[in-house]
Amino acid sequence: MTDSIVNYSKGQIKIQQMAFVLVAIMIFFAIVALFYISVRSASLKGDVNVLREDEARESVKKISGSPEFAWSITDCASCVDLDKIMVLKNRTSYQRFFDFPFLQIEKIYPKSEGECTKQNYPDCRTITLIKENNYIAHSAFVALCRYDAVFGSKCELGKINIGFRSAG
Amino acid sequence: MNNKGFEFSFAWIFAIIVGAVVIFLAIYTTTSLIGNSRYESDTKIAAQLQSILSPIETNLEEGKSIVLGFSDETRIYNECRNFGTFGEQKLSTATKSGIGKEWMEPGVAAKSSNKYIFSSKILQGKEIYVFVKPLKMPYKVADMMFMYTGKYCFVNPPNDIEEEINDLQLPGITINNSENCPLGSRKVCFSSSGCDIDVRFNVEDDSSGSVVKKEGTVRYESGLIYGAIFSDFDVYGCQVERLMKRNSELAQLYAAKTNFLSGEGCSSNLAGDLISYSDSLKEADSGKLSFIKLLSDGLKEKNDRLNCKLF
Repeated sequence: MTDSIVNYSKGQIKIQQMAFVLVAIMIFFAIVALFYISVRSASLKGDVNVLREDEARESVKKISGSPEFAWSITDCASCVDLDKIMVLKNRTSYQRFFDFPFLQIEKIYPKSEGECTKQNYPDCRTITLIKENNYIAHSAFVALCRYDAVFGSKCELGKINIGFRSAG
Repeated sequence: MNNKGFEFSFAWIFAIIVGAVVIFLAIYTTTSLIGNSRYESDTKIAAQLQSILSPIETNLEEGKSIVLGFSDETRIYNECRNFGTFGEQKLSTATKSGIGKEWMEPGVAAKSSNKYIFSSKILQGKEIYVFVKPLKMPYKVADMMFMYTGKYCFVNPPNDIEEEINDLQLPGITINNSENCPLGSRKVCFSSSGCDIDVRFNVEDDSSGSVVKKEGTVRYESGLIYGAIFSDFDVYGCQVERLMKRNSELAQLYAAKTNFLSGEGCSSNLAGDLISYSDSLKEADSGKLSFIKLLSDGLKEKNDRLNCKLF
């Protein structure tokens, strides 16, 4: 039986030391880079959410003035035309026009129930124009105006709900 | 005498090579990180710009104006794309930097189907002026946003334009006669010619006419005059076509509304006119604006006569 003893020279040990140090440095930098990337991507997600939320908040304030929603028969800044929105609901050309995952008009008062259809309109609560999954909604109060055979035109209290996509 | 020279051992060679690689990697990583962070910041600015432009849209107002201030010299890239039902407005930005390249490629563009920005393709400055006016043909079609930088000198404009500029307090625009225009300003002539931009009114109707620049001539109607003055002509043409497409969809929406209301006892008999108006608008460009205005005036007249108004 023979013992195998490996003898290293001083120079070889130094090179080995250097190699270990270099590997350690590379691992250290890799960990720092990973930490930096995770912090950066978290802050980027936060920024994206803030920007999307800002846009949804501004849009919910202004959407009542857009030509597809606005009640233009009398001068009224926050009045939306419920008849026009009811018609808009069935128009496929507008499907990608509003870039929100959720867009809904809701009647608050007088109280009524259910999604609006041609059969139950105007005795219904909501007109949902867009509904996808995963959104956070913002609302703004508006007057919902429509043609009424008795009063000519009639406005009721409602709100517009707009959702924005969360970056996760 | 010591003849022994400097011994260049393997350890030294190894350390120099590895050191050079580490330094190269550090410089490369830092440079690309700076580039990425500039790209990210430019993308954020474009998205913020999109959000800032929403509150200035009009409701009942006839116009609004704001000044966009940037901390550094900024370029805004205005790209109009006319495809599909509504086309697309793309806005991207690039910021001037003292590190690396002075100007990089713009960040990711903020897209929108319902914004119509009239400006040159690239606007540059620390302050950019924006004003908004609604386009009514005959109902409100959209808000037109006009963006400009620098100085303009309007030479003898008609009273309504002068009043509008004064009411909106538009910065950078002076109203003067030709001789007293500030140095470096772009002259816009309204009742004469030979300026950087010449406006020629129609004889029978001064709310329409044409705008002449070095790049050519375009037709305008009412508020679109500002679009023709402040925009590059291909941006103007594209935005006008997008506006007409939206107008076409709105005409169909109103036609559907009148059919919807006819069951409620609010019949307008405008559905046929609105459908043919919508058809005329589908492929309309700035050259057909006078004809479109004529149709729009006819519709307005018919709607005004209705007991149960449609718009």
